[in-house]
Amino acid sequence: MKRNFLTVVIGAVLIVIFALLLFVFQVRLSEVAVVTTFGKPVQNITEPGAYFKWPWPIQKVYKFDQRVQNFEDKYNENYTRDNVTLLASVYVGWKISDAKAFFPKFAGGSISAAQSQLEQMIRSAKNAVIGKHTLSEFVNANPKDLQFDAIEDAIMQDVRARLQTNSYGIQIEFLGFKKIGLPESVTAAVFARMTSERQVQISALANKGEAEAQKIRSAADRQASEVVNNAVADATRIRGEGEAAAAKVLPVFQQNPELANFLLRIDALQQALNQRSTLIFDERTPPFDLFTGIPANAPSH
Amino acid sequence: MSDEHEHHTHPHDATVTTEDAGSQALAEALGSSFAIVKIVMVLMVIAFFCSGFFTVGPQEKAMILRFGKPVGDGSKALLTSGLHWSLPYPIDEVVRIPITEIQKISSNNGWYLTTPEAELSGEEMPAGASLNPAIDGYVITADRNIIHTRATLYYHIDDPISFVFGFTNAAVTVQNALDNALLYTAAKFNVDDILTRDVAGFKEAVQQRVSDLVESAQLGIVIDQCEVQSIPPRQLQPVFAEVTTARETRNRALNEANSYTNRVFNASSAQATSITNAAAVASANYVKSITSEAKRFGDLLPQYQTNSTLFVQQTFVQAMGQAFTNVQDKIFLPQRADGKPRELRLQLNREPPQPKPAATP
Repeated sequence: MKRNFLTVVIGAVLIVIFALLLFVFQVRLSEVAVVTTFGKPVQNITEPGAYFKWPWPIQKVYKFDQRVQNFEDKYNENYTRDNVTLLASVYVGWKISDAKAFFPKFAGGSISAAQSQLEQMIRSAKNAVIGKHTLSEFVNANPKDLQFDAIEDAIMQDVRARLQTNSYGIQIEFLGFKKIGLPESVTAAVFARMTSERQVQISALANKGEAEAQKIRSAADRQASEVVNNAVADATRIRGEGEAAAAKVLPVFQQNPELANFLLRIDALQQALNQRSTLIFDERTPPFDLFTGIPANAPSH
Repeated sequence: MSDEHEHHTHPHDATVTTEDAGSQALAEALGSSFAIVKIVMVLMVIAFFCSGFFTVGPQEKAMILRFGKPVGDGSKALLTSGLHWSLPYPIDEVVRIPITEIQKISSNNGWYLTTPEAELSGEEMPAGASLNPAIDGYVITADRNIIHTRATLYYHIDDPISFVFGFTNAAVTVQNALDNALLYTAAKFNVDDILTRDVAGFKEAVQQRVSDLVESAQLGIVIDQCEVQSIPPRQLQPVFAEVTTARETRNRALNEANSYTNRVFNASSAQATSITNAAAVASANYVKSITSEAKRFGDLLPQYQTNSTLFVQQTFVQAMGQAFTNVQDKIFLPQRADGKPRELRLQLNREPPQPKPAATP
């Protein structure tokens, strides 16, 4: 009896497992699924978890990767509004947002089929949007005139609108330029222009450098002479101050101008006969007047 | 189920009903086989539950998906390194995500066709007169110049859930963002800023653009570092080099002018100082000598007033004596006896005597 009970339990567990395999399916975190009843899509599943279904052949489950897929379109020629041929390629991040809508549009929900459809839409959107802008809106040092972001956004909105009208069940997450270029023949012309721009710079630098250096030098000279002139003025002022101080002493000499004169002359004489001078004198020059005076005076003493 | 029931009941009946020795041996053999099968089954059940144990390494995180749904909300779903347990498949699924290691992505969309080997050995393909858009990459600058630029981006995964479960190939998405950032930033900068004047600013702007793009795409990564290298087209390398040389020449001229300025300033201020100093010294000396003259005058005045003639004579003779000692050549020319003046001839322009050390007291 006990043995029979255990057997029944094991059997029941096996039946439950079998039934679960038939009636239940899982949708993983990164997936979306669509349930079809006799081939007709009836239920859209976007949240991960376990779900119920009728077993095959009544219902069937198709699962899709709902993560963001990367796609990059061809690098092809477009014309800007100012008739510049611009090569451009864009990348998009897209994902399946509505499996029920996506599944019947593309054979068996094929990703590559969806991407070739997407490529056509991107090409026409890109062509249309680039044709509305000038090259200076693609490249510009002035942030106000640069419309790079706006152009990318316009292409994305265009593609989104096309997807919306066709209800492909695809959502564009982001879109941006991958490559932008010019036709090969134009690059040669650009090189020629760049070369001439460089040469202008070279001559400008050479001339400007010399002129600037000259300016610096002359400014230095002017300032230097100013400094010296100021010093000369200072020196004159200092001398003047000294003379003013000396003038205060002069009244002393007024007490006896004769003596003052005499002393000055004595000093001048001494200064004049200081060195390397030759003096020619006769006996009348003191103190050599002694030569004449002694014989005359000696007997009298 | 009925099948299993029969398996269990049949050997039981046999032992009771059959007396045959052969049958009994068979029954025993079957019984021991079943015992072994039971042990194996128990072991398998244990193994089945033990298989739920798994370890997470230090460089990764893990997530348990129960029926496809993460266990735990948001970042709580992430299991850190250590031992963990999950229910067996198909109930639970363990997903491992590399996290701490730094990932690297390079963008060569703006670079000419080359390989790292060719670049190292210097055997690159020679540059043609123009750039073929199919093989040579480049970017267009704000002033419509063509240059080559490339970047390497280092990043790490910050939010593994969105990185792994949000993107089929997140690395390609990062790559696209980096390519776009170079295009976009070059379109905003002038060629000289990118190449020489504001290299760091260009790099910063590229990194900022990548950060913005990955953030708006919710990639769940953090940018660690971005390296950017930009060069003029190889076709124009010589003329760009000439500009650099011209700029260096100009800088040298300016430097020379500046050092000239310094030299002139130093010289002039030295000259100015010596002029004012000389004036100050001369002025001080003048005042001092006048003052000492005045003092001497004051000292001599009483003597002079006492006997002016004697004083004058004394002072004069004394001064003459002093002067005569200092005079180099002294020529005594006595008066002729007849009182007539002597005729004296001076030969000028003679060779000047060698200067001798001063004999002044």
